[in-house]
Amino acid sequence: MSNLRDLQRELENKANDLSKLQKDIAKNHQVRKKYTVQLGENELVLKELDLVKDDANVYKLIGPVLVKQDLAEANANVRKRIEYISAELKRLDATVQDLEEKQNSKKEMILKLQQRIQSLQAGKGKA
Amino acid sequence: MQDTKKGTVTSLASVFPIEEAQKAVKRVQHTIADKQSQLDKLRGFVSDNNNLINLVLKLPEQLSHDIMVPFGKAAFFPGRLIHTNEFLVLLGEGYYAERTSKQTVEILTRRGKALDSQIDSIEATIKDLHSEASFFNATASEALEGLVEIREDYVEEEEEDSHKQESKSGPPKQHAPKSTADNEEYTRLMSRLDELEKEEELAAEGDNHSDEDKETTSDTDDIPYHRPIDNNLQNSKDFHKDIQLDQTNNKSTTTEFPKKPNCQDDADQLNFASLAVKSKVQDGKNNGKKVRFIDQGEKLIHPEEKIVKATTPSKSDVQHQTSQPSFDSAKAFTGSIIEHAENIKTTSREQSSTPAQDSGSQSSKPVSRFKMQRR
Repeated sequence: MSNLRDLQRELENKANDLSKLQKDIAKNHQVRKKYTVQLGENELVLKELDLVKDDANVYKLIGPVLVKQDLAEANANVRKRIEYISAELKRLDATVQDLEEKQNSKKEMILKLQQRIQSLQAGKGKA
Repeated sequence: MQDTKKGTVTSLASVFPIEEAQKAVKRVQHTIADKQSQLDKLRGFVSDNNNLINLVLKLPEQLSHDIMVPFGKAAFFPGRLIHTNEFLVLLGEGYYAERTSKQTVEILTRRGKALDSQIDSIEATIKDLHSEASFFNATASEALEGLVEIREDYVEEEEEDSHKQESKSGPPKQHAPKSTADNEEYTRLMSRLDELEKEEELAAEGDNHSDEDKETTSDTDDIPYHRPIDNNLQNSKDFHKDIQLDQTNNKSTTTEFPKKPNCQDDADQLNFASLAVKSKVQDGKNNGKKVRFIDQGEKLIHPEEKIVKATTPSKSDVQHQTSQPSFDSAKAFTGSIIEHAENIKTTSREQSSTPAQDSGSQSSKPVSRFKMQRR
């Protein structure tokens, strides 16, 4: 009797963990999406900056003011940003993979627990 | 689930529960709606972009524009737009660049292209999702109808063996027969062709047409059996009659070759012969052609007459010849593939076939040329 209750409690815990993991994964996906959009934007900016001639004035909006920037500087900044975002995306991919693995293992554990509970209940029904 | 001797019968509802299928449909529909809204948004961007491009193109047309300047949320005051060819373009990520109208338009068109590609990809995904949804729908309805899935173990070895045998037994061909029925028909046809070939050979041997019968056998082998087989059979039958009736009449035998392109060639010739007079009327559309046709007809008439003279006992053959063109005439004229190159060929053929008529035993010669023409 107590065994069954323990198992059920364990199952509940595992289910909670699983839902937490799933939430994490969803969050991760959203962050990833945001970064991909940013990456796309930055790449667009870089392309345009490459097309802009050297004598053109380039400004960066910092807070409420436009600050004049050197084209080369802006270019370097954007490149750095792209690098950063790419690295971030890679990191996120790794974490997502990790989380998914964890999720799968959790799922398996939950399945096993459920089977055990079922067999226990069946045994009790017979007894 | 019921177990039978050979396989299992599973109701589709147990494999794909109806509610699950319907849930899946709902989910897919939801994603489709999402994507659709995204697509609409993108379309809005595109139209905005186009409007902006038009505006940017128009602004530098005048030195200054009188405008109402928005002031706060509710107020406007009149103002003037000057420096109409200077734009501060937001490139993204807080970067702005000073550009002229033309350069701005370039940037905007590039953006428009990026948007277009995005729209394309979303449309593709929506299409995929739609097919997915329809699949789920079909599954759900099938499960609802109580459709059952019957599974039998597939005995692979037997099937493979039989296939191998089939493909081995059959002579080389372009298309493997899909079903046994096809195969049977095919083998029947092939056996018929073989028979015909043998008869041909026998007949040809009697007249020492060794070269020619090689030619014919190779021809029958070359025939793409699937499409024009009936035609070929008919033709080869006719061919037979001709050979048996008149072996020395080389012209007629070559005419009846059961080979598609050649058939056309010879059919054309024959048509010219039989329709020599008619061709004036029939080809009235093209004057240049008309002249050529008449020429051909005249050239052809002579050998034809010779044939009749040389082979007086076999009048039936001549009759057959005249009837044959009528069968082919539709093809020859509807096709109207009478080109210059072919024309040259036919004339050369005429020259070669005329001496052949004089000495019937040398009839192999024109055939070999005929062979050359094929290549």
